[in-house]
Order: sequence, then C-alpha cells, then structure tokens
Amino acid sequence: MNAPDRYERFVVPEGTKKVSYERDTKIINAASFTVEREDHTIGNIVRMQLHRDPNVLFAGYKLPHPLQYKIIVRIHTTSQSSPMQAYNQAITDLDKELDYLKSAFEERISRKLRRVDMEY
Amino acid sequence: MEGAGGGGSGGGSGVSYQRFPRVRIREMKDEYMKFELRDTDASMANALRRVMLSEVPTIAIDLVEIEVNSSVLNDEFIAHRLGLIPLCSERAMEMRFSRDCDACDGDGECPYCSIEFQLNVRCDSDQTLDVTSADLHCHDHRFLPVDVAQRALAAEAAGGYDAPEQRGIIIVKLRRGQELRLRAIARKGIGKDHAKWSPGATVTFMYEPEIHINEELMETLTHNEKLSWIESSPTKVFDLDPKTDQVIVADPEAYTYDEEVIKKAEAIGKPGLVEIYAREDSFIFTVESTGAIPAYQMVMNAIEVLKQKLDAVRLSDDIQDNDDQFGDLTRNIQGAAL
Repeated sequence: MNAPDRYERFVVPEGTKKVSYERDTKIINAASFTVEREDHTIGNIVRMQLHRDPNVLFAGYKLPHPLQYKIIVRIHTTSQSSPMQAYNQAITDLDKELDYLKSAFEERISRKLRRVDMEY
Repeated sequence: MEGAGGGGSGGGSGVSYQRFPRVRIREMKDEYMKFELRDTDASMANALRRVMLSEVPTIAIDLVEIEVNSSVLNDEFIAHRLGLIPLCSERAMEMRFSRDCDACDGDGECPYCSIEFQLNVRCDSDQTLDVTSADLHCHDHRFLPVDVAQRALAAEAAGGYDAPEQRGIIIVKLRRGQELRLRAIARKGIGKDHAKWSPGATVTFMYEPEIHINEELMETLTHNEKLSWIESSPTKVFDLDPKTDQVIVADPEAYTYDEEVIKKAEAIGKPGLVEIYAREDSFIFTVESTGAIPAYQMVMNAIEVLKQKLDAVRLSDDIQDNDDQFGDLTRNIQGAAL
C-alpha cells in the first residue's frame, strides 16, 4: 500500500542534482561525488578507471543503502591533479572506450550478418 | 607549488588512460550470441552485463483495461500474464518513455510512447478454447508478440501455411460461454522497473582460463593415474591422446574454476601437475535474448545505454564554476586556522 513508486529507482527527482560535489574539509585534493540514481554499474567502472590514473591516490565508491538510490564516489589525488579533473578524465576515457567498443562491434556484427546473407 | 594543474575545472587537459578492447564473435543467432571480449577489465564486462539485463529498453504491455472477463482467471492475473509476453521491440531505443512524453496524457493512443492492443475472444463451442498471444490485435505490425512475428516469418517461408504446432503463448483457456474482452497499452520500459521489460533471458561472462600442464611431471603418472586424474574434473576439460597416451587439454572453457583437478593432483602426491590461471582481461560472454530484440542488438544497445549513463554523470558546468569561486583548498584551511 505504501510502497514507493518503482520509478523512484532510476528517475532523478525534480530539484535534485544528478551529481553533487563536496570537498574534503581536512585533506587537500580529496573530494566526494554523490551521484543520484546510479548503482554498481557506474560506480564500479568509474572506480576502476580512476585506479588507472597514477595521480589518483585513492578512489572508491559505496552504495550507502539499498533503498537509497545513490552512490558516493570518493577520490583523493596528488597535487598534480584534482578530484574533479580525475573524475572528468575517467568518464571521458570510459566514454571513448565505449565508442571504440561500439565501432569494433559494429564492424564484427556486419561482417557476421553479411556471411549469413551469403549462405542463402 | 603550482596548484595550477587545472584549478578544479579539469577535464580534457589530463593524459588519457583509455583502453582499446577487442571483440571476436564466435556465434551469432537471433536470440543467442557468444563472443570474446579482450583487453578490458571485469568492471566493464560486468557493467555491460548489468546494463543488458536491466537497462536496455523494450516494449511490454503495461496497462490493461478489461471490459469483459468471465474466464476462470481474475483480471490482475490476466494483466500480469499479458505483461510478460515479449513483444518485438526493435523500435524501443527511439521511442519515448511515457513519463517523458509531452505529446500525450500517458494513457492511450500516442505514436511516440504507446501501442494499443485489442483482445476479443469468446468461446461458443464445447471444446476448450485457448486464448493466446496470437489473439492480441494491433494495427502496427512492428510490435507483434515475438512468437507471432516468428510464426508469420515461418509461414512465409513455408508458402503461406501455418505450422500447426506453433499456437502462441497461452494467456487463458475458455469454456463454452466464457468471454475475454480487453484493451491493453504497451509501453517502453527497462528491466530495473519490472522484469517484464528485460530483453535478456540470461547474460553471463566468464574469465578465459589459461591451463598449463606440467608435462614432465605428468609423464611420471601411470596410465591409470592419468585416467583417474582426468576423471576427477567434473566437467570434461582434459582428455587422453589415444596414440601418445599424453594428457591434453580438450576444452579449457569447460573448466568451472572448481579446482578439483588441483586437489586431485595434491591427493596423488603430485602438486603442481597443472596450473590454471584466469586471464583477467579476457571474457567470454553468452547472451540469450527473450526475442524482444536480437542478441547482437542487445549488446549494441547496452553499449549505447551505458554511454548515455556516463554522459549523465558528467559534472555539470555550474558545479565546476562554483568550485573555482572557493579557490584553492589550501587557502580555505589556512583561513580556518586563523
């Protein structure tokens, strides 16, 4: 009866930001990003991509509670970089990787489809 | 010292740590696909799997208005069964979610977000009548139930004759005098909302195993020891070459990482007989579709959806500008210390 609507899981409520950013008050170059309505899918790829960046000293994410549909990504970098820069770079790199993967797949699939056509 | 680096706004200026994954398709059918994904990591493989299962959109019946139902099943039961019928969803990617659709009020005829189905069946004979997915009528033939569309294709190939064993998905059975009349609205949705919208029957991936047999040590085994060692694996990973009497790897991918062969080698006093590693940058994917969209389209859509998700979690410009206003954190901390 009082169950929350199912769409609450993936629709960002009005007036809420998708991503919010909060600096650490004690450590330089450390910050937390709160990403609304995302889960392990995004959290884990962003974290792993951040680990590839040698300027990132720490990168982790957590899903605070299964009924709070948000993740918190925490990043600590060296002075050569900043959490925001590292975060942006990680997302850009992942996006490019997916672009590359997409074209690789397209090429492979069309090759397979052509071969199927030839069989007829 | 410099603190410059980007002053927070960042992005674009940094060095790229991008990967270039490789793909090889082993098998590709409409509803099944097997492929290798290399040069990436488990997080990417798992993200793709998760997106395929729960975030690639499809079309499914979401709203049912029942006019007459004198069948043995109650209205909700029938509505639920209708929802679970897979519908051809090739157009799902370009359709709108009805909650985002501003061209309609969300219940009924809208070319952008919904498709209407009618079902009108009455049993007038003494024989039980099966109401199936083939009785769902829709003016738009691109959204037929998957099995009906396949039957049409098969009938075309067979020269216009229906194969009698294909009768659609049964919704309910009617006896004499019973009737079912309803209107159903199908909408675009994702598996996260309700599993009926999931295009994936199963999506799995495994690490590619790398199996090294210590040939020298293996030769110290007798024929029977070799046989019993091969038998110790629950799946048929190893085999015996009948000519040379050598143990060979018959099918590395049959290995389920159960480590039974390693335990067996230890048990017969030959530890190190075989070494098995999981290649952590190579994955073998198996994708099975419900038929709503072809398996290869599911993978392509998953990549597209994941890209859209990533774009959505980019930092908005106002956050970046706000951060610059506060300047360097060093200054903040020094200020607080005073």
